[in-house]
Amino acid sequence: MKKLITILICLFGLFLNAQTQMPNVSLTDLEGKKLSITNDFNEKDKIYVFSFWATWCTPCINELDEMNDVLADWKKELNLEVIAVATDDSRTQKRIKPLVNGKGWEYKILLDSNQDLKRALSIVNIPYTVVVKNGVIVHIQNGYVPGSENELYQKLKSL
Amino acid sequence: MNKKIFLGFILITFNLFSQEKGVFSGGFESNAQWYLNDPCFLDEFYNPVSHPENPLRSNSYLLLNYKIKNWSFGIQGESYLQDALLNYNPKYENVNIGTYFAQYKNEKIDVTAGYFYEQFGSGLLLRTWEDRALGINNSLRGIRFIYKPTNYFTLKTLYGQQRTGFDVSKGKIFGADLELALSDVLKMENSDLTIGFNSVGRYEKTDIVDPNFDKLTMTYGGRVNYSHSSFYISSEFDYKSKDAVVQVRNQIDNNLIKSGNALLLNVGYSKKGFGVDGTFRRLENMSFYSERLAKGNQYNDMILNYVPSLTKQHHYNLANIYVYQAQPNVIINDASLVKAGEIGGQIDLFYNFKKGSKIGGKYGTKVAVNYSQYHGLAGTFYIYSPQDYSTEFLSFGKKYFSDANLEITKKWDEKWQTVFTYINQYYNKKFVEETYGEVKTNIIGAEAIYKFNPTHSVRTQAEHMWANSDKKNWAALLAEFNFGTKYTFYVSDLYNYGNEDSRLRHHYFSVGNSFRYKSTRLSLAYGRQRGGLVCVGGVCRFVPESTGFSFSINTSF
Repeated sequence: MKKLITILICLFGLFLNAQTQMPNVSLTDLEGKKLSITNDFNEKDKIYVFSFWATWCTPCINELDEMNDVLADWKKELNLEVIAVATDDSRTQKRIKPLVNGKGWEYKILLDSNQDLKRALSIVNIPYTVVVKNGVIVHIQNGYVPGSENELYQKLKSL
Repeated sequence: MNKKIFLGFILITFNLFSQEKGVFSGGFESNAQWYLNDPCFLDEFYNPVSHPENPLRSNSYLLLNYKIKNWSFGIQGESYLQDALLNYNPKYENVNIGTYFAQYKNEKIDVTAGYFYEQFGSGLLLRTWEDRALGINNSLRGIRFIYKPTNYFTLKTLYGQQRTGFDVSKGKIFGADLELALSDVLKMENSDLTIGFNSVGRYEKTDIVDPNFDKLTMTYGGRVNYSHSSFYISSEFDYKSKDAVVQVRNQIDNNLIKSGNALLLNVGYSKKGFGVDGTFRRLENMSFYSERLAKGNQYNDMILNYVPSLTKQHHYNLANIYVYQAQPNVIINDASLVKAGEIGGQIDLFYNFKKGSKIGGKYGTKVAVNYSQYHGLAGTFYIYSPQDYSTEFLSFGKKYFSDANLEITKKWDEKWQTVFTYINQYYNKKFVEETYGEVKTNIIGAEAIYKFNPTHSVRTQAEHMWANSDKKNWAALLAEFNFGTKYTFYVSDLYNYGNEDSRLRHHYFSVGNSFRYKSTRLSLAYGRQRGGLVCVGGVCRFVPESTGFSFSINTSF
């Protein structure tokens, strides 16, 4: 079995491809509408920022609060959309809608209830931000500390 | 053998499609611990904390996916060396292939063979998921077929056996879930209305001679979701057919054959700057495992449904000492401790004082209030043979838990942000943990973030808990320094200074740092682990007290 795994690792290691795409997963939004990650977020040259968060994750909420304050400015400069992917499972999922509205966030919210998208992207810790342009993952930001949003904006401008 | 056939299949497909360009992706995660002896750190029996037989242990996961056209293939290798981390399921050992799958997916059809993750409705009848921090991977190995002919109709059917360690359960699971977006069918313009039905069956033979229960246990559920502009309501009802109750670990009770049910109701209203949400839940005899005897095992092994505690998940350390766990089980062995389920609910309120208002100030002030309370089910319990019980539908029995909390977040200027929290908890330890005692707590937490410049900042968090019994008072401090966006250093201490036993007034200190770059995160820490329950998403794992170094790495590609 060990040999098998070693062979497998070597085999796959040879074919590693940096041009990673988003997985073909469908998630529902707050209105209950199903959206496909690959087909519904594919406008040419538009930048899609998928920000993974949860209602119980304080740094995630800090990040989305900060970004919400500057989003209007960013949109003046760039053709972009921020999608806040809530990884809350059914324990805290009902808290998403009042929290999002309570905070007055302007994001598109997607519900990753059983963490299908999070798992497909091998995300271990949130906050975690994936930037997609023309169907390809062009940038990943792992974690959030105050100031990360400035660095992210500089990166987005360079795309 | 299955694995070899599967690998062969992958390789063949790989060659068939080699002219086409497929895409690889995956991830790697490893969590390692080096347990040390700590002579000054005594457990409740005054034995110093000592390292286990193999002091150096790690749990590692390598996930590889290959996607080409409508096909996806995945395989996850896992290693637990020298052993799994303390108090993980001992069935996780050595190096092996944990899960694998092949999937074909187009607009209308989605077929998966191998291991898959699925959830029906809120998960009260079926949820398979992976939580590495808790050692849960209860994916089903079998086949799943999803048919979605139009936007408003989805039918899922599945069959499989559940993963347990590197093996699968003896119990065989099958199920179907149907969801219909009625608002699309009826062309309702301003409202959303969705209904769903599901059924899950478990087929498990038994060794018991003359069983009074069926090999087959069936469950049925129905749900409805409605929203109209700012208002929304949803409900779910589930029923589990009669089956033998397992009260004591490893003991099927052939004389107590009961059905189970669950009711969930959620109502909310929210508009910009304001949100309110209320949830009610009643559970009766609703634990469901892929093997009867797995019930109550401490590793959450072969758990088939998801019954989280519906309370606020606090991020303060001291608020996570007395954590409620949902009580779906039946116990009637002891007259002073009888349980058949739980009843209760919670209310959430979110309000944003606008920028420029008196309380809002320049940057706005955010307030969150939450209250939850849970009781046992009231009813009649017959302790002596024949054992039996009957419950009343909407009446509250013994109080198990309550939590009232308030959180105020305020940004003062470009540099300062503060969060203030007050929490009041009641925890009936006797009933929740099936031991003894009850605890009332008051917790105050304050958090401040200060930005030195756009990328350097410090976060401090101070907490105090007044508890009237058990381990009594605690204090905690945390300081976290962010040097740029990639590097973080932290020190923290939890101090149980109020413990009546002076030998157990421990400091649970920890020093650590983490480095992040793109999709990679590395962290190294040294410190003491508080013994007790580690909970993620309302599901808990017991961990013993320990001291040592921990190292973790994770990355995706």
